[in-house]
Amino acid sequence: MADAVRLEALRRVYDETGSAVTALDGVTAGFGPGTFTAVMGPSGSGKSTLLQCAAGLDRPTSGRVFIDGTELTATREAVMTRFRRRRVGFVFQDFNLMPALTVEQNVLLPLRLAGRRADPARTREVLGTLGLTDRLGHRPAQLSGGQRQRVAIARALITDPAVIFADEPTGALDTHSARDVLDRLRAAVRDFGRTVVMVTHDPVAAAYADAVLFLADGRIAGRMDRPTADAVAQRLAHLADTPRLVAGAA
Amino acid sequence: MTMTRLALSGLRHRTGAFVATFLSAALGAAILMTFASMIDTAGGAEVDAASSESLITMASVAGGWCLLIVVVAVSSTMTLSVRQREIEMGVLRNAGATPGQLRRMVAGESVAVALVAAAVAVPIALLLGRVLLGLLQDTGQVAESVGYVFGSAALGMGFGVTAAGSLFGALLAARRACSAPPRSAVSSRAVSSSRRHRLRRPGPGRVVAALFFLAAGVGCGVVTATVMKGKGIDAMQTAGQASIWFAVGLALLAPWLLRLVAAVLPVRLLFGVAGDLAATNVRRQATQMSGAVMPVILFVGITTATVYMQAIDDEAAAGLVRLDFERNIQTLNYVVVGMIALFVAIMLVNTLLAATSYRRGEFARQRLAGATPGQVLAMVVAESLLLIVTGVVSGTVASLVTVLPFGIARVDDPLPALSASPYLMIVGVAVVLTFAAALGATRRAVAGRAVDAVRA
Repeated sequence: MADAVRLEALRRVYDETGSAVTALDGVTAGFGPGTFTAVMGPSGSGKSTLLQCAAGLDRPTSGRVFIDGTELTATREAVMTRFRRRRVGFVFQDFNLMPALTVEQNVLLPLRLAGRRADPARTREVLGTLGLTDRLGHRPAQLSGGQRQRVAIARALITDPAVIFADEPTGALDTHSARDVLDRLRAAVRDFGRTVVMVTHDPVAAAYADAVLFLADGRIAGRMDRPTADAVAQRLAHLADTPRLVAGAA
Repeated sequence: MTMTRLALSGLRHRTGAFVATFLSAALGAAILMTFASMIDTAGGAEVDAASSESLITMASVAGGWCLLIVVVAVSSTMTLSVRQREIEMGVLRNAGATPGQLRRMVAGESVAVALVAAAVAVPIALLLGRVLLGLLQDTGQVAESVGYVFGSAALGMGFGVTAAGSLFGALLAARRACSAPPRSAVSSRAVSSSRRHRLRRPGPGRVVAALFFLAAGVGCGVVTATVMKGKGIDAMQTAGQASIWFAVGLALLAPWLLRLVAAVLPVRLLFGVAGDLAATNVRRQATQMSGAVMPVILFVGITTATVYMQAIDDEAAAGLVRLDFERNIQTLNYVVVGMIALFVAIMLVNTLLAATSYRRGEFARQRLAGATPGQVLAMVVAESLLLIVTGVVSGTVASLVTVLPFGIARVDDPLPALSASPYLMIVGVAVVLTFAAALGATRRAVAGRAVDAVRA
């Protein structure tokens, strides 16, 4: 079966200050449908850039991105937005909910922006799975961090995207809420057949995934199936110790 | 001491955030000093009694109107700029700053900005003051021999009133920012804007102030239509003020007027999901949104009132030989209305630019939820439409408080047939300024990548 997300020779060079910095240096990777993959690496390894390029939030300098078999070729922001909202769901560290909207309005917002009608049964199912049924009229400010992140997950699920990208989804949460959020992301994969790609720096969070992809200096530095927190932590420590190969030079 | 130093370093490091406040303070100070320098000029050597009286009248009547508007404008811009820093203040409070220290910091900053702005305004006022004196001399109201003096009255008014207005606005905003527990002020960037001033019912202070201004406006109108009836051009003295008082009163109620308009106008039908979001924003954040309604009310209300008051007077005097004095008043009216219009227009653009660029994070979150830049723009268009309708309707009502009584007093007809084109032009300018400023700032705010902007 085709990959839900496929990256080919992805390069991203930032040249905003005059001195070029290579954030991604030829990354090729595939994420199969119905898988939960964590992307890890020391800070500055390019994991957030990878996620942003793969999700169509940033344009790679060169290389190709395929989502659900369709190549992301758009350069205009409006076209990229339409591409994203049909195929991609997001969960961010800062939740990024609209403060003026209620829980229900926040969850349905991507559908409304896309001009699609919400299927009431599907909406009930998503909200029910995430335990939000009795919070529909609340505003984000009235919820705890864990609850807000559940709203964000519901918003990501509601459009039935080919892939959900999560950028440090537990970064702003306490241990208990973090575990709950990770359980729910895993349930989305296991029970609904979703594909999840999650950037994290936390080995415990990574252990919830089916596989971990390691990055260092903008390149793939290894892969681990059925990860455990200890094994991930060990590998990370090793990656961080390895002297950097001419980091940043391009 | 510590807080003063903190305040000054705040000024150095966030110069951009102060531009809006600085501009409105500088312009306000320039206008005040222009009129106040007429008092200095009147006190100069060898000024005859008639010239002196003309100068003092000019300073107190025209300057008085401006005083009110400048205080309102400067303090409201200052309020806006302090509110935009609630997160910074929360951080400082978490770091151990007491509410009193924060108030001193905000007070120090606002006074510093006002004083620098007033200093910059001095040369502008010198120039405008000379032009104004020249105008009075050309129309024969002040003797040619009178020399221009720019002295203590001008400086005192310029620096004193600007600093006081700015301080007042800053303290008003700081009081709110300091009243919440600090934890909530910094807990999350994503929710900070929802806790900001949920619209409550207007507080008693605001209601009393609004009623006072509205009543003063109506009072002036009634006096114009009764006591001043048949007194000719003198009726302008009371008629001119009426719309200013009334417009300020309506401006104080702007958040509630805006909500009313949002409830009545079918933006949801016109703009679809973008209109729906606009209506929600206006409902939920009426206080911030209404910042731009006030200048529209003042602009439309005061310009329309003055231009039509003059037009009615011209009609009453048609066929008669006009006295120097009357021609003088005519010039004066246009000078004053021009100055006020310019000032309020700049304030409108200023407010919109500041308020819109502050929403960069909100726009970015919306884009991450799937909104195209075009949808964000459509939302802002819908919001601007609500703002402008509220402002134009309220401003028009305020102008009637001048026009109807003056019509009765001067030509015995509350609504004499007059050309609609000046009114349409005034509304057109307000519409163009509002949309151009809001859309320009929004386009810039959605230009970059959403993932970067969301952290802003």
